[in-house]
Amino acid sequence: MSTKQPSTALTSRQQLAVVVVAAAVVGAVLAPSVYAATNDPDDTVAVVEIEGPVTSALADDVESELADIRANDSVGAVVLKLDTPGGAPVASERMYKAVQRTSEQMTVIASVQSMSASGGYYAMAPADEIYVLPTSTVGSIGLNAPAPRNTAPVQGPSGPDKAGGNEIQAWAEQQTLADTFVDAMMAERGDEFKMPREEVAQADVYLGTEAVQNGYADEIGSLNEAIHAAATAENLGEYEVDTRETGPDTGFPILLRTDTQVVAVHANDPGYGEVEPMGLTYVHLEAVPHVDTVERFSESDLDRGGAAAGTGATGNETARLTGGVGA
Amino acid sequence: MSDLRTLAAAFVVTLATITGGAALTGFVTADGAAPAPEIQNEHYVDGDAIANDTPGRMDVEMESAARSQTVLVDPGVEPTGAVPVSPLALLGFGGPEVADRDVRPLANALIENGHDVGVYVPDPEQQRRAVPPGAEQGPTQLGERLAEADAFVTFRTDYDEAELDEIESFVESGGHVVVATEPDAAFDQPGAVGLDATLDVTTEPGYVYNMEENDLNYQRVYAEPTGESDAALTEGVDRAVLPSATPVGTTIAGSDVLRPVEGSELSTTRASTEAPLLVRTDGVVMVGDSDFLSPENAARADNDALIGNLADFLVTNDRTPPGPEGQRSPTGPTGPTEPGQPSEPRQPSGNETAG
Repeated sequence: MSTKQPSTALTSRQQLAVVVVAAAVVGAVLAPSVYAATNDPDDTVAVVEIEGPVTSALADDVESELADIRANDSVGAVVLKLDTPGGAPVASERMYKAVQRTSEQMTVIASVQSMSASGGYYAMAPADEIYVLPTSTVGSIGLNAPAPRNTAPVQGPSGPDKAGGNEIQAWAEQQTLADTFVDAMMAERGDEFKMPREEVAQADVYLGTEAVQNGYADEIGSLNEAIHAAATAENLGEYEVDTRETGPDTGFPILLRTDTQVVAVHANDPGYGEVEPMGLTYVHLEAVPHVDTVERFSESDLDRGGAAAGTGATGNETARLTGGVGA
Repeated sequence: MSDLRTLAAAFVVTLATITGGAALTGFVTADGAAPAPEIQNEHYVDGDAIANDTPGRMDVEMESAARSQTVLVDPGVEPTGAVPVSPLALLGFGGPEVADRDVRPLANALIENGHDVGVYVPDPEQQRRAVPPGAEQGPTQLGERLAEADAFVTFRTDYDEAELDEIESFVESGGHVVVATEPDAAFDQPGAVGLDATLDVTTEPGYVYNMEENDLNYQRVYAEPTGESDAALTEGVDRAVLPSATPVGTTIAGSDVLRPVEGSELSTTRASTEAPLLVRTDGVVMVGDSDFLSPENAARADNDALIGNLADFLVTNDRTPPGPEGQRSPTGPTGPTEPGQPSEPRQPSGNETAG
C-alpha cells in the first residue's frame, strides 16, 4: 500500500518565493549603499557662512571648510553666506585666497545678507557672482587706520623702527595696504565696476539696488536663489544643501572703535586680556559702534526701561553703568 | 585533508579579494587634498602697490637780509594751571595740536638768521584778574606781547574781542601775520569767524582731497602756485604738500598764492575745487593747514622752500614796535644788513608749547 507522505522538498513555486525573499532582504541591506553610490557625485551645494568680524579664527574655519569642500566630490557648488563689516587685513586676504582657489574648481556664488563690506567684500570678490538683497550694504574698499603720529623717542629697543617709526614711512605703509586691497578688487571685478579706480578707492558703500547698477554686485536675490543659481550653473538637478557654520564656538568677537582705533572684544563682560587692539583694519567703520555709545544693560534695566534695545548686552569697562536707552 | 586545504584556500582567496578590492577602491576614490593648482595673483607681485617710503630732505633757507625781528608764535596753548576742560587733558590728550617740534623748521630758520622767536602762553593768574568797574581796560596779555613783536604766527582762532582789536591794530601798524588753520577748526564754536573778519580772510568748511595724485594719502594734497600773485612766497616752490587742508580766501582779488593740483575735490561737495589753500593780503598770509610746518612734512615736495619764504614774509614787515625795547632802528626790507654777524639770537621765551 502506498501512503502519500507530505513531501519535504519545496515546490518550485516555494523555492521562487524563498529566493525572492532572500533577495529582498539582501537588497534592503544593500539599497542605502547602492542609493548613495549612484546618487552621490556632485549633488550637494555647500553653504559656507562668513558672519561677524573678520578675524583669524574665522579665516581658519573658512579656509578649512573650503579645503574640505574642494576635496569632496559630492559637493558640486558653493554659496558663501556673508554678513560681515570686515576686519583684519590678513584674515581677509586668507579668505580671498581660499575663495579664489575654490572658484577655480567649481561655481562659487556669494550671497550677501545685511552687509558684506571692506574685508568681507575682499573675501567674496573672487566669487563667480555676487547676490545682494535690495538693502544689503556692500563696498568700503579701503583701509581704516589712524593718522601716523610722531612720538617722543623710546630708549631701549635695538633699532629705530623696533618701537617707533617715521611718520612718512607709516603713511607709505598704510597707502601700500590700501592699494593692495584696491588693486586686488580691480583685478577681480575691474571689468564689472562701472567707475574708475579712483572712485573705487573712495571706499564708499552701496545699497544692493545701487550695487547691481555700478558693478559691486551682480544680481538681486536671496540666499535660496543664490543656492539655486549655483546648482543650476553646475547642472546639479536634484541637490541637497549642506550648511557649514564657521567662526569661533564661543561666538564671534564684538568690534568696537575708540577715537583712535578698532578693538575686538572677545566676551560680553571683558577683562583686559579679552580686548584686542586691531590698529589697521579692512573694516567698514560706520558699522562698528563707538565705545562711548555702548552701555551695559542688565535684566532690570530692560524691565524698567522697556525701550532699551539695539546695542544689546555688549558691556564694556568704560561704558557708563547707568542703564537705559543705548545711543 | 583535501577538504581542509580547499576550505583554507577558499578563505584566503576570499579575504584577499575583499581586502584587495577595498584597497583598490580606496585608491581609486581617494579624496585627500589634491595638489593645489598654482594661482598667480599678479596684482600682489607687480610691485606697483608698494608706496615709496623715502622720507625726503629739507633745507629751509631765508633770503631776507632784514635786521633782527621779533616773531611771536601763538601755538594755541590753554593757560597753564587752569582747570582742564576735559580730564583727558591731564593725561596729555586733548592738548594743543601744535607742539614745539611742529614749528621748529620755521622757528629754526628765523633763529639761524638772527631773529627772535617768542612763544605766547597765557598766564592763568593774569587772566583771572578782574578789571575794576570804571577802570580802563589795559592791553591783554597777548596785546602786551604783540606790542614787542614785528610779526605774528598763530595756530589759534578763538580770540576774544579785545585780542582781535589788538591783532587788527598790529596788522595796521605794518606787522605781518601768518594764520595757519585746519579743517577741524570749523568744528569748534564759531570763534574763528571773528579772526577771519578781523584779517579780511575767509575759511571754507570742508577739507580738500585728491584721489588721483597725492602724497601717500588722499588728504595730503599737493598745492601749486597760482602764478597770479606774490612770486616771493612761491619762489622755489613747484609743489607743496598740505596734509589736511581747508580752502581759504580773501576779500581782495589776486591774492591767491597756492591752489590744489588738478583732480582735487572738496569734502563737503565731492566736487572738484580750485579754491586756494594759501592766500596773501598785504600783511596777512592765511594757510588752510598747519601740519606742513612739521619736520617730517617740511621734507616733502618743496615745503622747505615754502617755509623759508614764509619766514622771509614774516621778517619783511613795516612795523616798528613801540614796546619796551623801544625805538630801535627802523626795520624792514631797506634796513642795513650784516648777514655774517646776526645779532645774538634769543631762545624762544617759552618752551611750553610742547606740553
